[in-house]
Amino acid sequence: QLDRGCALHTAARGGLSSVSSQDVPAQRPRAIFHTSESDPAKHTEQHEGRLYNIPLEEVKAVFPHGLPHRFQQQIQTFNEARVMVRKPALEILAYLKGSNFAHPAVRYVIYGERGTGKTMTLCHVVHYCSRQGWLVLHVPDAHLWVKNCKELFQSSYNKDRLDQPLQASVWLKNFKTSNERFLQEIKTQKKYMWGKRESTEEGRPLREVVEQGLARVRSASDAVGVVLREIKQQSHRGSFRLLVAVDGVNALWGRTTLSKEDKSPVSPEELTLVHNLRKMVTNDWNGGAIVTTLSQTGSLFKPSSAYTPQELLGKEGFDALDPFVPIPVPNYSPREFESCYGYYLERKWLQHEKAHTEDGKAELQFLSGSNPRQLDRLAGPL
Amino acid sequence: MLPERPGAPPRPRESRARGGRRLRAWLPRIMPVRWSRYNPSYLEPEAKKESYQKPLEELTEEEREHMELKAVRPIKAAPPSLSSSVFSDPMISKFTNMMMKSGNKVLARSLMSQTLEAIKRKQLEKYHKAPENEKETIECNPYIIFHQALKNCQPIIGLSNITKGGKTYQVPVPLTDNRKRFLAMKWLITECRENKHRRTLMPEKLSQELLLAFNNEGPVIKKKHILHKMAEANRAYAHFRWW
Repeated sequence: QLDRGCALHTAARGGLSSVSSQDVPAQRPRAIFHTSESDPAKHTEQHEGRLYNIPLEEVKAVFPHGLPHRFQQQIQTFNEARVMVRKPALEILAYLKGSNFAHPAVRYVIYGERGTGKTMTLCHVVHYCSRQGWLVLHVPDAHLWVKNCKELFQSSYNKDRLDQPLQASVWLKNFKTSNERFLQEIKTQKKYMWGKRESTEEGRPLREVVEQGLARVRSASDAVGVVLREIKQQSHRGSFRLLVAVDGVNALWGRTTLSKEDKSPVSPEELTLVHNLRKMVTNDWNGGAIVTTLSQTGSLFKPSSAYTPQELLGKEGFDALDPFVPIPVPNYSPREFESCYGYYLERKWLQHEKAHTEDGKAELQFLSGSNPRQLDRLAGPL
Repeated sequence: MLPERPGAPPRPRESRARGGRRLRAWLPRIMPVRWSRYNPSYLEPEAKKESYQKPLEELTEEEREHMELKAVRPIKAAPPSLSSSVFSDPMISKFTNMMMKSGNKVLARSLMSQTLEAIKRKQLEKYHKAPENEKETIECNPYIIFHQALKNCQPIIGLSNITKGGKTYQVPVPLTDNRKRFLAMKWLITECRENKHRRTLMPEKLSQELLLAFNNEGPVIKKKHILHKMAEANRAYAHFRWW
């Protein structure tokens, strides 16, 4: 085991001459692809290709929703959450650190082929922002709002629109877990009526709106709309920074598989949740940033080879999101592949005796094409 | 002379003195698809990488002869199940083929890989939670568990029906290795298909059964023991066997 560690050590030494000694203790070669720096604010190119640890309590607080399913299973099996630091994430973090919050919010669109790590990049950015104390509006998968909805009600606020109580209440519950203290601090700026009898007065904390939405599931979508509106209006004051993180943003401008009672198709702008989220993703507010991901995997009526913004967003979506900063996410570089392979070996995930040999490693690299998802799926049964 | 049947091989006319044996086997006009009837001159394909990487000097006499033969003889087409991967295992392939239904190898293979992953996850969770002194006893390699479980399920002696004097007797009979392996795999698969809850999936149930069989517990091991007891009980008829 020591030989393997030393080989990796010498291979990676070339690019990491300025590595601080605390990262690579002499007796434990395993740490070459780990880093003890668990604060994303301090991640630099030095840490590229290395895995950093997120404490499990923080995972529960920051990511009640939003982590991919396979990664959650991995956290459960290994008993730790290790995320790789990669170039696209470092790029976004650098832009966020240097951005001027008096200007309108900049939109970042993370795109790439299937399984290259777009959602994990978004989670890295979300972790950084929550560590910095921003208010994080994380929509784990916008595609869930435009398909497989069992209950669609006509909205009481606007006759043309449709409500989705289940999805809205699930999202409100997770939003409450991740942003407890902000809900107490932000106050409503006008009076809201929920039906004929219930209302929320001006100046009440936002927490009451959220609780109203959770208690009366029928008005959950309207509660979501109110929350988004309040946050957007108050973000320019500067008391908090806002991050809007949407995964699968191409769902907002595509088609839906839902239909009304008379079997006519529903277009996305007729859904309250989508309508309000579209307003958040426009750049007419300041004091924060909008980081989004394109996703073909859950998308509707899009070919599986489509991954560029033009193809997935369509004309309408592209015009709505334009101008944005595109961030491509490639497959693993050789160094990142070594790092991931070494991590699996160290955690005893690769159990097959041939997987420890050079031949096995070459075969894994070839079969997966250095694609993170394929590598994960191949290494599963091995 | 008798008239020839249409489609029969042509009868030999006169025997010409010929050195060496006839290599032109008779081929019918309609080629069968399910079985392959190659000319006997065709050689088997070689998939292992190591045999091509040996330098010329290290080969033995037979291997040198074989190489020279390969230069002149044609080679059979490689079947899709032949793999040069270092991770391929013949037992796992056989088990996957037995699990397959109506030729859906993709589904069978994905079920197999999900089973192996499920076994690995369960064992790793146990491993990480166990105290230091017990960690060595926990086996995490799904392949070792699979092979050991199959070995534990193999019966040593089987029963066969022999009819003598109008009555059929269950006679204890030794089994070949192939038959033992087949019976073990068949029992495992039937057990997992039939005795499970409607909502549990195959990988989940299979991983459970494999782990139980690895520890010599579970319904398949019980079935093996019942067979052994029946054979022991019918010991008196053992002389009915004539092979």
